[in-house]
Amino acid sequence: MSDAPFKNPGWAGNTGEFDLTEDEVRGDDFVGSRPSGGGHPSVSATYPYMLAEKNPDTPLFEGAYKERFEKILTRYPTKQAALLPALALAQEIRGYVSPQSMDRVAELLELSSAYVRGVTTFYTMYNKAPVGRHLVQVCTNISCNLCGAEDVLAAFLRYTDTELGEMSEDGNFTVIEAECLAACGFPTCVQINSRYYENVTPAEVPKIIERLKAGAAGGDV
Amino acid sequence: MADTPNTVSLTIDGHEVTVPKGTTLLEAAKTIGEDVPHYCYHPGLSAPAMCRLCLVEVEGAPKPMPSCVTTAADGQVVHTQSDLALSRRRGVLEFYLVNHPLDCPICDQSGECKLQDYVHQEGRDHGRSREPKRVFGRDDFGGDVLFYGDRCVMCTRCVRFMTEMEQDSRLTVVERGNRSVIDTFFEEGLEGTNWSGNIVDICPVGALVSKDFLHKARAWDLEHTPSICPSCSQGCNISLHTRDNLVQRLKPRENMEVNGWWMCDHGRANYEWMNHGQRLEAPLVRTEDAVRAMGWKEAVGALLDRAETTSGSVKAVVSPFASNEDLAAVRSLVDALGGGSMVYRMARADAEVPMDGFPILARRRDLAPNGRGAEIMGASRVGDDDGVGGLDDVAGHDGVVIVLGDPLVDQDASFGQSASLFAYLGMHGSPATGAADFSLPITNFAEQEGTFTNHEGRVQRFWPGLRGPGAAQPAWFVLGAFQAARSGDPAPRSAADAFAALAASEPALAGMTYDDLGARGAVLNETVSVPGG
Repeated sequence: MSDAPFKNPGWAGNTGEFDLTEDEVRGDDFVGSRPSGGGHPSVSATYPYMLAEKNPDTPLFEGAYKERFEKILTRYPTKQAALLPALALAQEIRGYVSPQSMDRVAELLELSSAYVRGVTTFYTMYNKAPVGRHLVQVCTNISCNLCGAEDVLAAFLRYTDTELGEMSEDGNFTVIEAECLAACGFPTCVQINSRYYENVTPAEVPKIIERLKAGAAGGDV
Repeated sequence: MADTPNTVSLTIDGHEVTVPKGTTLLEAAKTIGEDVPHYCYHPGLSAPAMCRLCLVEVEGAPKPMPSCVTTAADGQVVHTQSDLALSRRRGVLEFYLVNHPLDCPICDQSGECKLQDYVHQEGRDHGRSREPKRVFGRDDFGGDVLFYGDRCVMCTRCVRFMTEMEQDSRLTVVERGNRSVIDTFFEEGLEGTNWSGNIVDICPVGALVSKDFLHKARAWDLEHTPSICPSCSQGCNISLHTRDNLVQRLKPRENMEVNGWWMCDHGRANYEWMNHGQRLEAPLVRTEDAVRAMGWKEAVGALLDRAETTSGSVKAVVSPFASNEDLAAVRSLVDALGGGSMVYRMARADAEVPMDGFPILARRRDLAPNGRGAEIMGASRVGDDDGVGGLDDVAGHDGVVIVLGDPLVDQDASFGQSASLFAYLGMHGSPATGAADFSLPITNFAEQEGTFTNHEGRVQRFWPGLRGPGAAQPAWFVLGAFQAARSGDPAPRSAADAFAALAASEPALAGMTYDDLGARGAVLNETVSVPGG
């Protein structure tokens, strides 16, 4: 990682101030994994929804995660402001934001537990209960719906043998509905963990499931 | 234009109004008696302008403005009742009824519900929503608070009260959109909070209700009597809500110099004793062979006869729950009988319980309303922090013993046995009052008019909300009649008379009258140091 002084890399392209390489920002792998240290402070908190190893009993913010938590704190003027990334980190560690995680985050950020619960439940990208290794979010908003999203959703439920929002017995899948994933040009869009699957039809669902199962032990697919 | 740089003049509904700079339109409208509908705004809390119900038309503004956060400006022309304002508010109200259940017949808030009032005032005559309403059911928050999620209008007054006033952010909005609901951190609840009863008061609808008051009385059956909370020396202004000659609940009454809009949970819950039965109902007088119930005339006559023949100094025990008028009547009786000492006993809590968001308000350590008044009347404090003990020299006194209000529960039957005259003016009998030559039934503070002096020396009036039991009379009335019969002066005919006599004789209260005190009270002329207070 670069020791260069902090500059905001921005997200809208290289403005000339961007002196971090993509590797430095994202780590060596493609989207979906990141260096355990979280990368540069400017981005350590900003990755969208992630799933790492799911172990609800992992201690929060220890070892490398403690470093990352502290790195996140440096980005904000107040501790309260670090609440969203802190919760995202807790979710990355444990797979979901449990009441115990909320309590711990509240304690670390000097907030009330009730307030943290309010924030956590407001945002749909925090899982309030354990989810499967692969979180399948099927967009059922207007564009996708017009192109058969309901059938895609039904196919995912059938082939994973789960109810909506429930975890499959083997712990591999949780299927939920999502509101617009901002991929209206490619309906039906399905987000599985942090990857988008576009133009999905019900016929393709078994293939996707098989591929996910094959890679289930090896992280994101 | 403004009269001074610190005020602004504007027109509201055709009336010229001049208000201090920074006043909101909602508050400015109040000055002409126009109460703009609102939920989220409360004068004691921050205003998030999220209920959207206080919309008014401001000429020149591109759209209706929320009057709770729009500050008055010079030359503004505001219409609170124009077609535009009314139609916008009617639309907002219709949205409130999309999910609010129409369970008014079984809702405790019915009759004092702001949604009921506003819809009746300016809402549609029927709703157009045909969708099923969302259902949450109810949740016991602990303490005295029960939450009916379906009725909640999401004004977040309760959340802001807990954050800003109690400064213990136990409440929050959980979830989003039409699933949002007020809750605590899972099962944490409101246990251990000291002021959470206030969220029931400020809830504009029936979402937060008191468990103690649940299904006990309808709001329109209650009579409201302005009073003073007797549970500590803070002297919070309250209303006694009574029905069937019983206090059903206590509610705080606004007084910015004492308690704002608030009162503590301890005081709120401590009212059952006012309804307590087993009262002394008729004067009991010990004659040669027996204790006999008498009418007042006969009893006062007998007391006069006995007073002529008694000897020895006077020792009086008074109660810090007695009004200033009652205490003054005892003091003048003590003086008339040759002088002596007055003592009182008062329970004391381990610590004050402050309200962090309103620093002048706290539950004080002294757990009685008028210890300060007793001090001013010359009584000194005895006994321990439980309000017992300290009466050893009174119990065996061989002169005159007078007891006002203190039920002597810690004393045994030997109390006052050797007194030459033992007069007990109280509400309840106890083993220790058995030796009394005169047991005279008096009213408690809820049954009579009077004044208390709070910890900072503020003299505040209270009014009678209940009828006293049987022949019970205020102590100032009984002792006033006795004194009048003795001296030939006219007896006080009202509590105001008794207070006027007190103000004339006591420099600390000089110049005060009931009219001046009004419903807000006034501070003593001089400070009196209260030992340990």
